[in-house]
Amino acid sequence: MALKGSDLSAPPPLSGSVALRASGVKKIYHTRGSPPVEALTDLSLTVNKGERVAILGRNGAGKTTFLKIASTLLLPTSGEVSIFSMDVIKSPEQVRPYIAVVPQEGKPFYHLTPREQVYTYLLARGFARETAKSRADAVLMQMGLGEVADRLCVTLSGGQQQRTMVATVLATEAPLMFLDEPTLGMDPFARRSVWAALRELTRQGSTILLTTHYLDEAESLSHKVYIVDFGRIVAAGTSDELKRKVGGTIRVTLKGQGVLAEDFVSFGHCIRGDDALHIITEPDRISEILTLALKKGLSTTVGPVTLEEAFLQLVGRSIEDET
Amino acid sequence: MKLSTVPRWRGLGAFAATETRVQFHEYLSIASSILVQVIFIFFMWLLAPRSLLPFALVGSTIFSAFVIGERILDEAAYIRIDHKLNELYHASPMSPESYFLGMGIGVLAAYLPPLIFLAWMANLVHPFSVTSALVLLGALVGVWAFAASVGYALSTLFRDMRAIWPYATLIFNLFGVLPPVFYPLYIFPAALQPVALVMPPSAAAALVMHSLNLLSLSYGEVILAVCSIVVETVCAFTFTVYWSRRFSREG
Repeated sequence: MALKGSDLSAPPPLSGSVALRASGVKKIYHTRGSPPVEALTDLSLTVNKGERVAILGRNGAGKTTFLKIASTLLLPTSGEVSIFSMDVIKSPEQVRPYIAVVPQEGKPFYHLTPREQVYTYLLARGFARETAKSRADAVLMQMGLGEVADRLCVTLSGGQQQRTMVATVLATEAPLMFLDEPTLGMDPFARRSVWAALRELTRQGSTILLTTHYLDEAESLSHKVYIVDFGRIVAAGTSDELKRKVGGTIRVTLKGQGVLAEDFVSFGHCIRGDDALHIITEPDRISEILTLALKKGLSTTVGPVTLEEAFLQLVGRSIEDET
Repeated sequence: MKLSTVPRWRGLGAFAATETRVQFHEYLSIASSILVQVIFIFFMWLLAPRSLLPFALVGSTIFSAFVIGERILDEAAYIRIDHKLNELYHASPMSPESYFLGMGIGVLAAYLPPLIFLAWMANLVHPFSVTSALVLLGALVGVWAFAASVGYALSTLFRDMRAIWPYATLIFNLFGVLPPVFYPLYIFPAALQPVALVMPPSAAAALVMHSLNLLSLSYGEVILAVCSIVVETVCAFTFTVYWSRRFSREG
């Protein structure tokens, strides 16, 4: 194999339809002086080729731990993980040419420009100079970083630095990409540019596994969502399938003093939120609920059921709940 | 793809070049890396007998190679703890060994100009023969490889940057300044001289000083110093290569 000047970036082609399969993955952290912490408990999931899959969960639910295990960065206590039928636990070197990772809250080299950051990373992965240069230029434009591509990363905003990290990984066009909270700290426009880039990559054949605690991100971006809590999967499916599990198509939110679930339980399924009561119901019950709410002096909002209600129902508390 | 077909040192050159580029942006840090040595040399010139000046210059050159280990410790910990860039590179076809050695070579390349400046000054004060220049080169490579390995391995033990600074300063100054690196071995207490010859920085300094006829070492002392540098460097480097691979799945 000729090394110098050749493009080593393209690993051998892959067969089969499954990109990632995890089975019974368990992780216990042992820290001196502290009791062991079970971060993952018997977690199993499958990601098919070309899919965008989101792992959704609260902070500390085990999302990052799983992503690190699947991306060869952490050994599990037990369980099996394979990527394109290669064993992640036993043969990480075999797997690594096929993957790329955006670490959570990762930052680019402060003293490189975004263009240098992407270009040098591609070179380190074995891309030829011409390929690395053209890919760096293209991905920076795609991510809206064209104007700041030659400024040092230390001078960029947090959102621009995060986009640089995402661009660095997307430029690899790796068959399987892991993104840990990829849009954390980005403004809505930047988040949408990342979503568009991810959609484009899966159209070209890449597979994306991302973690997020943004419900809208999971809902609008993913073919499949895994909801994780306390290190185990509590629900899985498309966002529509998860929403159907709530038991209705309409959400009526009631706010005000003295709002009691007992008064409304006959209209549908009641979920107690932070400072509101959500009633999951069907459209034909809305007028009755509104009439009663007006009598009790409660403020009301009506909308379609979202992943937020599904999460609340399936996990039993809000995704923002840190307890 | 079979494991054997993944090049062990894949990405080494590219990552080393990246690190050099990053380090060169911190030119003040590079320039100030020899500040203490230059001040030390100045005071030696001012206060001590002139005969000690070549010792201080040789010692400064060796010490400058040794403290590159401290820079590597800082850099490896910083881009892991603050930037999480180790995850970006470890989950890639680039080998963990390339990540460690690339960082070592990259930092060395950036800090080479001040090191060459000190070696040039040493040559001005006490001209080097071809043999002594080769001894100096070998000693610098050995000390750098040892310090880079120790620095990288130590960096993996920390989870907080602030915890690193006192330890890094302590370790690299303790072994780089206290033993006879800047001054002749014969000034060091006789009972401790063999100890100095098993520590890579002072062993390297003694060998270079011996090659310049500044210092007279017995045959046994030369063997002890050479073996210490070679064995300890090989051990430290081998361990860090192993550790970098293992740590790529734990950090």
